[in-house]
This record gives sequence, structure tokens and C-alpha cells, in this order.
Amino acid sequence: MQQPPSPLWTNASSRTRLTGTWRSAMPEYQDKPSPCRGACPVAGRIAEWVRQIELGDYYGAWLTLVDNNPFPAVAGRICHHPCEGACNRQQLDETVGICSLERFVGDMALAEGWCFPEPAAAQDQSVAIVGGGPAGLSAAYQLRRRGYRVVLFEERGQLGGLLRHGIPAYRLDKTILDGEIQRIIDLGVEVRLQSGIADAGALRALHAEYDALYLATGASRPKTLPELDYEQPWVQDGADFLAATNAGEACELGQRLVVIGGGSAAMDVARTARRLGRSVSVLALEPDALLPAQPIEVAEAREEGIEFITGAMLQAVESLGDGLKLQCVRVDFQQGETRGTFSVEPVSGSGFVLSADAVVPAIGQDADLARWDGLLDSDGPVVRTDAQWQTSRPGVFAGGDLASMDRFVTQAIGMGKMAAEAIARHADPLQPGAVAANGSEVPFAEINTDYHPLAGRLQPGNLEVEARLRTFDEVQHPLAQDEAIAEAARCFSCGTCIYCDNCYFYCPDMAIAKLEHGYDVKSDYCKGCGLCVAECPTGAISMGQE
Amino acid sequence: MELINYNDEELFQPGHVACAGCVEALSMRVILNTVGRDAVATVSPSCGAVICGAYPFSATKIPVFHTTLESGAASASGIKRALLSQGKPDTTVLCLAGDGGTYDIGLQALSSAAERNEDILYICFDNEGYMNTGGQKSSSTPLAAVTGSTPAGKTTRKKNLIEILAAHRIPLIATASPSHLNDMAAKVEKAKALRGTKVIIVLIPCLPGWGVADNAAVKTARLAVESGVFPLFEVEDGVHYTLNTEQRTQSVNSYLAQQGRYRHLSAEQVEQIQADVDAEWQRLLWCAAGR
Repeated sequence: MQQPPSPLWTNASSRTRLTGTWRSAMPEYQDKPSPCRGACPVAGRIAEWVRQIELGDYYGAWLTLVDNNPFPAVAGRICHHPCEGACNRQQLDETVGICSLERFVGDMALAEGWCFPEPAAAQDQSVAIVGGGPAGLSAAYQLRRRGYRVVLFEERGQLGGLLRHGIPAYRLDKTILDGEIQRIIDLGVEVRLQSGIADAGALRALHAEYDALYLATGASRPKTLPELDYEQPWVQDGADFLAATNAGEACELGQRLVVIGGGSAAMDVARTARRLGRSVSVLALEPDALLPAQPIEVAEAREEGIEFITGAMLQAVESLGDGLKLQCVRVDFQQGETRGTFSVEPVSGSGFVLSADAVVPAIGQDADLARWDGLLDSDGPVVRTDAQWQTSRPGVFAGGDLASMDRFVTQAIGMGKMAAEAIARHADPLQPGAVAANGSEVPFAEINTDYHPLAGRLQPGNLEVEARLRTFDEVQHPLAQDEAIAEAARCFSCGTCIYCDNCYFYCPDMAIAKLEHGYDVKSDYCKGCGLCVAECPTGAISMGQE
Repeated sequence: MELINYNDEELFQPGHVACAGCVEALSMRVILNTVGRDAVATVSPSCGAVICGAYPFSATKIPVFHTTLESGAASASGIKRALLSQGKPDTTVLCLAGDGGTYDIGLQALSSAAERNEDILYICFDNEGYMNTGGQKSSSTPLAAVTGSTPAGKTTRKKNLIEILAAHRIPLIATASPSHLNDMAAKVEKAKALRGTKVIIVLIPCLPGWGVADNAAVKTARLAVESGVFPLFEVEDGVHYTLNTEQRTQSVNSYLAQQGRYRHLSAEQVEQIQADVDAEWQRLLWCAAGR
């Protein structure tokens, strides 16, 4: 191994000494998952596309985004962004504004007219999708881009489901929604509007025509309050109220509204009513801290002059000639074990009266399971599915609000994606499954924060309250390009190599080789000190035992 | 994030026998590659001599002359004069030494060379002790640090070599840290372009000597800079001070806590060291303001 030393002069290079034999551990480059990705309902490669924004590669960022979610402009506005809750950066200063960055890329794609890449070569199989909401559209997109023939059946006259009928324009401008839906249809999805699948018989017939079915008909049956007579003209269910106002129909309800419920839908109803000039009170069972709506929605509702009466419930309504008297009582609210379950105990002697002209209950919706009676098993309030989102009937898959109590738009998009992958495997069992990311999520402790100076989050501003109450214009402003780049630069890129060359330059043994894309450890010389790991700003390298 | 951007021409080779994780080897890599091929070095007995390579192996692509511990600067002076008489005035002569060969045993030769303003670039790899011979104290060892010969902690201060050198009014004295590689390369580049005696003191947290983890020498050096224990600055012509890091962002204790040699310190001793560092920092600000 060693050359014989020269007897005359020190011209033998130290290279002949292979110091790699000293080592007990060697660094490994790993594309480790970031915590945001683990929390993301569509398992988006967030660290990757945020880095692409930082480098100014917006188109690349968009392609990375739409690999998992064809709705970045929609999600960038209304996602409940659990990614931000998981962000490692909050342990240094503040979480990265992932949602506003997603909107930035999504908006740019619409403005620039970017199209999805051509679908893969045509497959023999065809899939019918029932329901044109976020879950159905996400599944349609994922199946169509894989080359399957996709036929989408939608009961109503327009696609979008809850995104169109349930989300007010001040949160999601409808031209944005139209743009992102059109791009999916342009991939070659066949759309049948006003074509509901009415019952189990129709479903069975449909299944005979297609290799697989995906059901995503949502939750369309409003839960009802026994204290309310829904036949009265002064009662309107929240979903109906939103569907009507989103469609531009006039609101017939009186001046003083009481909205019942503490979730996002209740906030949407209340804030829409404010924009229609009503005075609005929200009556919710939950105390302030447990309101199921996102905190930002509650804060913005308060800014808009909505009164909150929390930790209380309606007991009876008395209709007088010139209005309503709502008999209410304070309650002791206890959260249940599983999401959406709770118990309430009225506090005796705490009764009070609210005056109002109309009541809009927005307390949630149930899936219409009766429609598939005898054909599909149910699991409590939803259709039963296995881990692959397949129902009790092989070849029939389900997702979204029909099959899950995780009632967030991006959860539905993620379910659509997972079902599409399962349907592709069902059609062709040889198809490779989704590639799992390496190893465990990068913890904050693996980020070298010396390379990340303190820098607070750039919050996009909001429309002035006065302007909000006059129009249905979007409340949240977008990030400007320079702001987006600065915000993206705050990202730690947890677990993702950013090719900064720190590992190369901090090696005392010249044991890191630069490759065209990435690095290689020269095992002949690496002594296993771990400096490259310690000085990696993103936690993309780990020591592996040998 | 600031990217490291010096050009590695492979003038420092793998296979050297520095400890795993040694930032003296890391600093040697930056310095040799920044100085370039047209250079000759001397090295006095030290870790640096071992890293450059014992006969017949060499980790450097430039000639290196092993001197005695007393005579680093004198040998470098002689080589420079020989090169001048050969008509090679642009060849850089590097004088590599440890703190033992600089603060203690080589001080006379360095002072003489500085007094004559010999055209050499003197690099002191300062690991604050005789770490190559098992970790005895030198006059560079700081107050309270434990070494093999100061088992209860050193009772005297670290010698202020920079002020000694400043008294010689040489063109450039600078401090450098393996946590700030661009700064180190820039200082070497600047020194290379100047004629006369230039001295760069590089802080080298010694893994076994200081009780630092194998992967933590860069972090320790960074904390030394950020706490103001080892500020990055330059002194030109002995009087003009320039601070390269203008703010302290860490407590002295965060630096001390990285190291086994300070593990015995009481809270009062830590406070005392913090107070010393604060006073030195104020003095440095005062010097920098007077330039």
C-alpha cells in the first residue's frame, strides 16, 4: 500500500497514509425529511420548494409543489398550515411563513399561465370519480397525470365543492379557484356536471363501467339543533347561507344575526354577514381557547366587529313580533378523547337572553351515508376504508369528508392523492409505491443555528378593516417578490442539502469530494471527526456507524 | 448565508496525522492554499511540524524546512534573504510555529526579525499550551486553565503578544479563527501583498488539550470570537486597530462551558474572567476608535 520512502528527500506525499483506518464512524449524506413535511397533509416537499424560491427558481418551486398538491394558490390562502406549527425555526425566533410562500408561487403560476407537464403515456384502465371537490379533483389530477382515463361526476353545475360553495371570496377569490381547477381539467379529465350518483344501484352500475371508483361526495347533510325550528323564515343553515351568498344571491335575513358554532364555517358565515351589513354575534359551546376555528380567523372576525359569546349554548327561541329572544345558558365544556367529540354541562343559574332577528347555525355537516346503504360499510359517521382508502367493496375507494373526520381542505387534497396512488397500485400491482423519505425527521438540535441569524417572520399585511366591511376583496395581501425571497431565506432547509460547500471546506482531511450534484466522502482519508456534520447548516449529514 | 469562497488548489494533502477534527490542519489548509505555490515555509517543533509531515512524508505541496524551536523567525529570515539574492523577491516565506515557539522559546528570534522588519509571514497556531508534548502550560495559556503542569488552573494571565508585536510597529498583526475561514483567507491575502514582517495569530482549540469534543473545535473557536475572548482584529503599523467583529453576542461562560480545562471554575471565577474580557474589549474599542 505505501510506496517505499525516498532515501534522499521528503518527497513522499502523505497521501500514501490512509487515515481512514482511524475512523469508527463515517458521515452520510441523507435527504432527511423536514418536520414541516411530516406535518403536511399532502406530504409536500416544503424544504425543497422553499429553497427553490430563495434561489429565484419559481417555476421549479411550482413543479415541486404541484407534485403533491395541484392547488398551491388555494392552499396558500386557506390551508390550516400545520407545517408552520412543526417548523424548527420557531425554536430560534419565529416559524417560516410557509403558507404565504405557497400562495406566492401559486399566484405566480396563474399569472404566468404555467401548465402541468403532459400526462404519462395512456393507460388502459379508466377511473370514475364521484364528487368534484378538493379530494375528487386531487385524485383526478394524480390519476390523469399517471395516464389513466379519468371521468369526474359532479352533482352541481360547477366544480370545486366546498371550495366554491363554502369558502367566501374574501378568503379565496373565485378566479383563483377557477384557474387551478381549469388547469386540472386541461390535463384531459372528462367532466360530467349535474351528474350525481344518486344511490347504491347507480353506484353499482357505474362500477361495472370503470376499473375503479373514487367517492368524494363530501359531507352535505347539516347537523341540526333540536332547539331550532328549521322551517321558520328566521333560521337558515350556515352551509345554505354560504352557498347562497357565494353564488351572489341576496340575503333575506334580518339585521341582527346570531351565528351558532365556533369552527371555520361559523367564522365564514359571521364574517360574510358582516360584509352584508349585518350586526353579528357568534355563540359557541367552546371557551375562547378551544374554539375549533383557526386563531387568525377568530382574531380577524373580532377586528371586523363580531361579538363572541363563548362557552354558552342556546336553549330555546321565542319569536316576538319585532324579533327573537334567544334563551341561552353558560356551559361547562369538556373536550372528548377523539377529535370532534365533547360533553357540555349547563351551569345552573347562568341563563341569559340574546336579542336577534335571525339565527344561522353552522355546527358542522355529516356525510350522506344512507345513499350507499347495503353497498358500503360505514364506520360511525363516515364510510369505512382501509389504510389504502379502499371501501368494503374492492375497487371502490373513498376520501375527503365522506371518509374522514379530518375536515380540512388540504387533508382532503392529501387523501385524494393517497387514494390515487392506491388506485394506481390496484390497477397495476407492479407499480412502485410512494418512495418513503429516509430516516427520521430532522430535530432542531441538528440545525447549526450559527448559520441562521435571527430574523423575524415577514407577515403579509391585511386589508384595512373598513375596506374589508365594504367588499368581498381578499383580506390577506400577497408577499412581494423580494419579501418572498427574504422569507424563503429564513428556512433552515431541514435535512436538505443546499450545496453550500461547508462540509467540503470544514474538513481538515480534504476527505469530502465535490461532485457535480452533491458530495462524496473519501473513505480512504475521512477520520470520522464529524466536523462536516457539526458545520452543516441544514442537518443534511449524519454520522453513520461502520 | 455567507459562503466560503477561497480556492483550494490541493496544496495541503490528506493523509497527515493531525488528530481527527483538528482545526490546526483545517487552518493550514486555508493558509497554504491562499498563499499559493510560490512559497517556502519553515516550521518549528510543534503540532504544525507533525502535521506538515515527518521525514520522509510531506502533507504540503510547497517546500517546508524544519527548524529548531528557538529559531523559527531567524530561519525564515535567512531563507527570505537567500531567495532575494537568487532574484526571487516575490516568493512568500511562511514561518509556521505554535504558541510555545512564539510566545516562549521563539520570542527572541521573532522580536529580532520584527525589529529588522524581515519580509516574512509569521503564522502562530495558538493552542494555548505545549499540546504536542502532552499539554503543558505556555505563557499563552489563559488564567485558570488546567494543563498538565497547572493541574489546579494557571494562576497568571495569558501573555499579550499582540501588544508586544505592536511595539515593533510592523506592517500587520492580525488574529484569525478557524470558525471564520473567509476572514482568515482575506487576512492571509492581505499579508501576502505587504512587504515586511506580518504576524497572524490563529486560535486553535485543541481537542485533547482543552477537553473539546472531536466535532466541536470550530464551534469553540466561534464562541471565542463571539464572546470577545478572542476578538478578530488587525493592527497596522503597530497603531491602527480595526475590529472585524464589532459586536459580542455570547457570554464568556458559553465559551468556557465547551471545554474540560475550565470545568473546575466557580461562578466567581467565571465572573472574574467575564470582567477581564469586558475590560479588554473596552480597551480594544478604545484602540479602534483612535485609529
